[in-house]
Amino acid sequence: MAGSTDRSPIYFGAVRLSPRSVVWTLGLLLATVLVSSCGVGGLSPIFPNPVSPNGQNIYNTYIGISIPAIIIFIGVEIALLWVVVKYRRSTQPATYVPPQIHGNTPLEVAWTIAPLVVVLAIALYSFVELQRDFQPVSASNYTVVVSGHQFGWNYTYPEGFTVHQEGSLQTEVTPFVVPTHRLVRLEFQGTDVIHSWWVPAVSGKTDAVPGYDNFSWLKIDEVGKWRGECAELCGVGHSTMQIIVQSMDEPQYNAWVQQQMAAAKSSP
Amino acid sequence: MAATQVLPRPKAYDDTFWKPISLWLTTTDHKLIGIMYMVTGILSFVIGGIFALIIRLQLSQPNLKVVDPETYNQMISAHGVTMIFFFVTIFLTGIANYMVPIMIGARDMAFPRVNLLGFWLVPVSIILYYSGFFSGGALDAGWTGYAPLTEKAYQAKSLGVDFWAMSIIVWAISGIMASTNFLTTIVALRAPGMKLTRLPLFVWAQISTSILLLVVGAPLAAAMILVEFDRQLGTQFFTTQGRPVLYQHLFWFFGHPEVYIMILPGFGMISEVIPVFARKPIFGYMSMVAALFGIVFLSMTVWAHHMFTVGMNTYVEGFFMLMTMLIAVPTGIKFFNWIATAWWGSIDFEIPMKFAFGFLATFLIGGITGVYLASVPVDTQLHQSYYVVAHLHYVLFGGSVFTIFAGIYYWFPKITGRMLNKTLGEWNFWTLFVGFNGTFLIMHTLGLEGMPRRIATYSNEAWAATNLIITVSSFLIAFSVAIFLINVVRSWNHGEVAGDDPWRANTLEWATASPPPPYNFERVPPVRSFMPLRDLRESGELEEELTPEPAPA
Ligand code: HEM
Ligand SMILES: [Cu+2]
Ligand SMILES: [Cu+2]
Repeated sequence: MAGSTDRSPIYFGAVRLSPRSVVWTLGLLLATVLVSSCGVGGLSPIFPNPVSPNGQNIYNTYIGISIPAIIIFIGVEIALLWVVVKYRRSTQPATYVPPQIHGNTPLEVAWTIAPLVVVLAIALYSFVELQRDFQPVSASNYTVVVSGHQFGWNYTYPEGFTVHQEGSLQTEVTPFVVPTHRLVRLEFQGTDVIHSWWVPAVSGKTDAVPGYDNFSWLKIDEVGKWRGECAELCGVGHSTMQIIVQSMDEPQYNAWVQQQMAAAKSSP
Repeated sequence: MAATQVLPRPKAYDDTFWKPISLWLTTTDHKLIGIMYMVTGILSFVIGGIFALIIRLQLSQPNLKVVDPETYNQMISAHGVTMIFFFVTIFLTGIANYMVPIMIGARDMAFPRVNLLGFWLVPVSIILYYSGFFSGGALDAGWTGYAPLTEKAYQAKSLGVDFWAMSIIVWAISGIMASTNFLTTIVALRAPGMKLTRLPLFVWAQISTSILLLVVGAPLAAAMILVEFDRQLGTQFFTTQGRPVLYQHLFWFFGHPEVYIMILPGFGMISEVIPVFARKPIFGYMSMVAALFGIVFLSMTVWAHHMFTVGMNTYVEGFFMLMTMLIAVPTGIKFFNWIATAWWGSIDFEIPMKFAFGFLATFLIGGITGVYLASVPVDTQLHQSYYVVAHLHYVLFGGSVFTIFAGIYYWFPKITGRMLNKTLGEWNFWTLFVGFNGTFLIMHTLGLEGMPRRIATYSNEAWAATNLIITVSSFLIAFSVAIFLINVVRSWNHGEVAGDDPWRANTLEWATASPPPPYNFERVPPVRSFMPLRDLRESGELEEELTPEPAPA
């Protein structure tokens, strides 16, 4: 007797409503609805290409890692499919006896060394980018102090005034304005719990931890507006901690700064 | 051959679930304790799943308010805590409790009464955690409970955090007891001939898991005790004035190995299932064992990869990045060995094998996204976004849940003496596979477009359709789990009688009756390799070894 298959009930019945076919049909239907409803967001295979050079380098690192990742993914899934299709008992002659192999040292060494080489390469490649863009920058004398609180962000400019970006989901929050073509150093502080400042279209995120200075920088060469939000659970209002970054050309920016300073002077 | 003959169930040991309650409460039989662990785990899975469905309803469309943000934060925390601490870890402890002694030819665990106490600490831990809901609000800082959000200054109204900390301390003590017990059992109680090099790979996996929990359980309890000191005695370890990042180090020194505590037993089960259904011995037994220990070592050196955005020295970050990526090597070895085991095999796609391949196909994705997350620069984009939620479910759901289902369909006949229904099993597998991928695959892309995790709602209309698809798919998962539960209950009572060895398996647990008698074996069969049952079958000694004494009714 050949195992339990012989004793199992006839399970598909006369209608042959096999679970596999039903579920796949449903799944594919769902996928079709998904693809056909155009303008659906949230389906892109990579984050938006950032406007700040450090963000762009991260973007390129992501693409770099994707090359071996996709090859390995496809290779292994094909191997799995191959096994599933090729070595089913139901399609084999009844006389087939699988070879009783216990291992193969050269092969095992090969698939230890090969992944090792790949991950070492990825690690090195990532480390180079880490050294390039995540060191404290000294090349800038323009530092904005970004401080997170429950539930909003304060941006204190070197000119002395502060922009309050209070959290809200209903209305657009007050933008954090930066000049174009200028490296802006960001110094992060937390005043109560931990928050994390994240605008994917500008660059990666940086935590604002109480009692602990953290830093990042941005340099934007085009005029525009980008949204982001707090990425570290910080309490009930966490989802309201929206962020907007807006960049302005030099003259406009200077005008904006003058306006802010005047406002700061008039209000005690 | 006797191996597959339908034998009458032995009457000596009543195998129905309905035993006198006093027996359940006081038993030191590792099998009954194992069943209680497993039932506790599955009940927790259902509860954690209900939390998940509430989360998904809330996020199905923008600006919804199914529950208010305060409750939402409690839901995500309770979902995470329930799934990790009360479902996966507990269930796996249970299945190991049942199987490990039998697989090594022992009569029971080394310390049966420690086993009893260890188990009963679990409901204590669970009740402590949920008590938080009646104290003005349970934990609401996520399953990681980062300070200073858990500090008194931000949690004045409720005792939820205190109950969570107490619960985890009790849980850690229980886990340390179980680990000690497993290690002692495996070292001291092996049957004659069961050398270390002949241990089933599931037992090796249990050794690795126990070592991990033994090492990291205490620091976890320590972290929780310090949180309590801060809250109730006014110390300043992790407060806004203290060192919040220190908490993260302590927590993740436990937290990352915990991921492997939840996955290594699954690896072990897959290493049992594939050879049996492919009719080939496991490929590279020794490298499988070596890979387990490689993972054990590496997993204790990677914790700060959860902290790449807090602002550490870049060389320190580089170290943790490298160690994290190196884990891909032993994991890769295991993957290739599994595929090589199935290669040229004669594969019978019974339900356990379907789940095993479902695991391979999905866990691969979790493994690959893990390499992206390990890369410090890339992680600054992906961290704390829905990409991470997708990744962690590919690892924990594709990894732990699929392997747990493989293990249940494989061992249910041994535990209950009856087969799980195959038609329901097919439905269970396919709805789970499609529902799982429908739910979690597109979470990656949502995260890449900027959706952070743990947000109670969002106003971005562009994310609406994708989130709706996710929610619909998550209900397909719920449907699948319902089928599974129906299958278990029905089959336990009415399932087809399994016999001793329905799968023609290789290991000792199949060399006794189903369910095994209290003392496990009439006579422990000789062990001559890591596939003792197969040796017996081939040498023709099987009939004699397997025929159970027909016990008086
Ligand atoms: C029934 C299927 C499941 C669904 C639909 C589901 C859904 C979700 C969702 C949507 C989140 C994100 C919540 C948020 O960030 O706002 C989440 C978080 C999480 N899930 Fe699941 N999940 C499921 C099963 C599981 C399983 C089986 C496990 C573990 C074995 C698990 C472990 C976690 C963990 C650890 C978190 C993180 C919680 C936190 O942020 O503190 N989930 N789940
Ligand atoms: Cu926040
Ligand atoms: Cu980790």
